[in-house]
This record gives sequence, C-alpha cells and structure tokens, in this order.
Amino acid sequence: MTKRDESMQEPTATLLPALGVLITESVDDFNRVRDALIQEIKPRGIIDEILVADSAQSTWEILRLRRCKAGIVNLTFRDALKRILRNLSDRGSEIYNDIDELSYYYFTNRKMKKRVLRFLAEFQLDESAIEAEAIRNSAEDLERIDRLLASLEARRNKALRCIAEFRGDFARRLRDGANRIIDSEVLALEHQQGKAPPAAA
Amino acid sequence: MTTERQAAANRRNARKSTGPRSGAGKKRASRNSYYHGLTATMATSAERAERVEKLARKIAGDSKGTVILEWARTAARADFDLAQVWWLKIALIERVFLFGELERPKLFKSVRQVSAFFNAFDRGELNIPPTPVDAAATMPSEEGDRLAEAVRRVLPELLKLNRYERRAASLLYKSFYALNRRAVAE
Repeated sequence: MTKRDESMQEPTATLLPALGVLITESVDDFNRVRDALIQEIKPRGIIDEILVADSAQSTWEILRLRRCKAGIVNLTFRDALKRILRNLSDRGSEIYNDIDELSYYYFTNRKMKKRVLRFLAEFQLDESAIEAEAIRNSAEDLERIDRLLASLEARRNKALRCIAEFRGDFARRLRDGANRIIDSEVLALEHQQGKAPPAAA
Repeated sequence: MTTERQAAANRRNARKSTGPRSGAGKKRASRNSYYHGLTATMATSAERAERVEKLARKIAGDSKGTVILEWARTAARADFDLAQVWWLKIALIERVFLFGELERPKLFKSVRQVSAFFNAFDRGELNIPPTPVDAAATMPSEEGDRLAEAVRRVLPELLKLNRYERRAASLLYKSFYALNRRAVAE
C-alpha cells in the first residue's frame, strides 16, 4: 500500500490537529458544540470536515469571549458603585464614610442594597447607572473583545459560506454530468433508431 | 551622505567580521530574528511535517496533479497553524489564570533602581529590595470571574495572535477555493 493510499484510508479524526479546552472549560461541552454543527451541516469529505471543525473552534471562542465580556463588566461593578457614591455624596454626608462598606455588601446584603438604591433614587438614579458606569470603566477592554469577536464571527461565517458554495458547485457539476450522460444516451438511442444526429453547433 | 573614506572604512571593518563560522554559530544566528515562529509556515518538527503531509494527501484525494497537491499542502499547513494559535491562546490564558500575569514579577522597576540598591549596599547601608506584588493574589477567587480577569489581562497578546490567526485562516480558505476551482474545471 502506498503512502497516498494509507492516508486516504486513515480516519479523518486522526489526521486533523488535536484541539483542547481551558482547564475551566468542559471537553464534553466543546464536543457537543462540534457535534451539533456536524449534525446540522453533515460534512461530506475532508474539506467539509476541516471547515466544520474550524466553525466549531470559532463558535467555541465566541462563546468564551461573550462569557468573559459579561464577567469583565461584572468585575468592575463594585468600583463603579464606589465611584458613583463618591460623586454623589458630599464630604459631610452620612453615606460618605460608609462607601467602602456599602459597595462591598451591596451584592450580598439586602439591607445595604436598599440603602444604596434609596440614596441613588434621591438623585433620580437606579441600578442602571451603576451598570453604565461599569461599562464606561471597562470600555477599552470591551472594545478589544469586540474586535476579537468580529474577527471570529467573520471567520465562522466564511467557513459556512465556503461549504455552501462548494456544495453549490458540486451540485452544478453533478447536474452537468447527469445532463451530459442523458444527452449522450439520447443521441445514442436516436442514432440506433436511424435518426441522423443533429449537426454540432 | 556616506563619503568615500567612510565607505572604505566600512569595507575594511566588514572584512574583519563575516559572521559566524562554526555550524553551531550559524545555526544560532539563523534564529536571530526568531520571535515566536508564528509567521513561519514551515513545519517545525518532523512529526508535524509528517502529519501535514498525510492531511494534504487526504485533501488532494485521487488527484495526482502537483498543483492540486501543493494547494492541499498549503491548506494542511494553514490548518495546523490555526491549531497552533488555538493552543497558544489556551496556554496564555491558563498562565494568567494561575499566576495572574505572564511575566515574572520584577524586584526593580528600572536599571536606575538596581544601581541605587547596589550603591547603598556598597556604602554599607542595609537596603532591603522591594517585595514584588504577587499578581496571583490580585486575581478574583471565583472561577468564572477569574477566567474573565485572565482574558482581560491577556487581551493585548490575544489581539497579536489574532493577526496570525487571520493570516492562517485566509490561506486555508484561499487554498480551498483554488482546489474547488480546479475541481470545477476538471
């Protein structure tokens, strides 16, 4: 058996480069995403399989970055709350001395949360003001993540477009091939029946 | 503008050093501009080269044309490059996830600080070097938050890697389109 024949018969999974996930991620979840794409696209041939694997990689990274994006905003929530409270309270205000404590317990203690919301309401503000401040603080990181996300989404779409285009070309090739076979058979039948074949264009 | 005298001096000096002569020296110098090897699409190990070739032959299928095989090789190399970037990203994120940063914490911020420390030491003044901040201690303890923070800290590196990833992906699709055009033409 030649080297070419050997690689032709080898299962595709062993030929493609191996991929792993982060220590905090689940391999099963990654496989589920990949299997769902395989189920949906039903790859035919090695090129389809590579493109499906590529889409699975991009999709997985998109999911990871989206999760992190939300996480990054959440991480700046406490600082954002602190900054808002500092901006709103005067030096003499009773809340000024409790800012650290309030921003620490805001997320765990219902009483503290009520107190903060009451204070915010005095200035016609609510929880969305904290969120807006958190997003403002992490805008630079969010913009970087968005650039990565845009690139990954473009790559995933390109892979899917490739599959669709190649399949379209394949279908056209099949159709043309079938037409050629039918035409030649019709011609052969007509020839057998004594009809003269039409003059070539 | 370089004068005739300067040019002559340059030629004289160049004759004195013509680069490394030993095999080991030449090998070392060949890696002078090597930074991370991501732009080099050459297979970096014999095992990888073999795997790339196997995948290329599978992509080329029954076709015996050298052009098709060459496009298939480009596609296979690009696919392995993409996998390499994937693993690099994982390694970077995990390092920051565990240690809080990519670089080892430095004792001194500048050369000036180092010399100030040794000057004080020479004068006999006991000068304890500053203790570096443990970056891992500044990481959130909850797993999801810690991962988000790790990704945030490693974002500049991820953006750099994205450049190489885009290049490899573009090569992959370019070769697939070329292979498809050939298949349509045949």
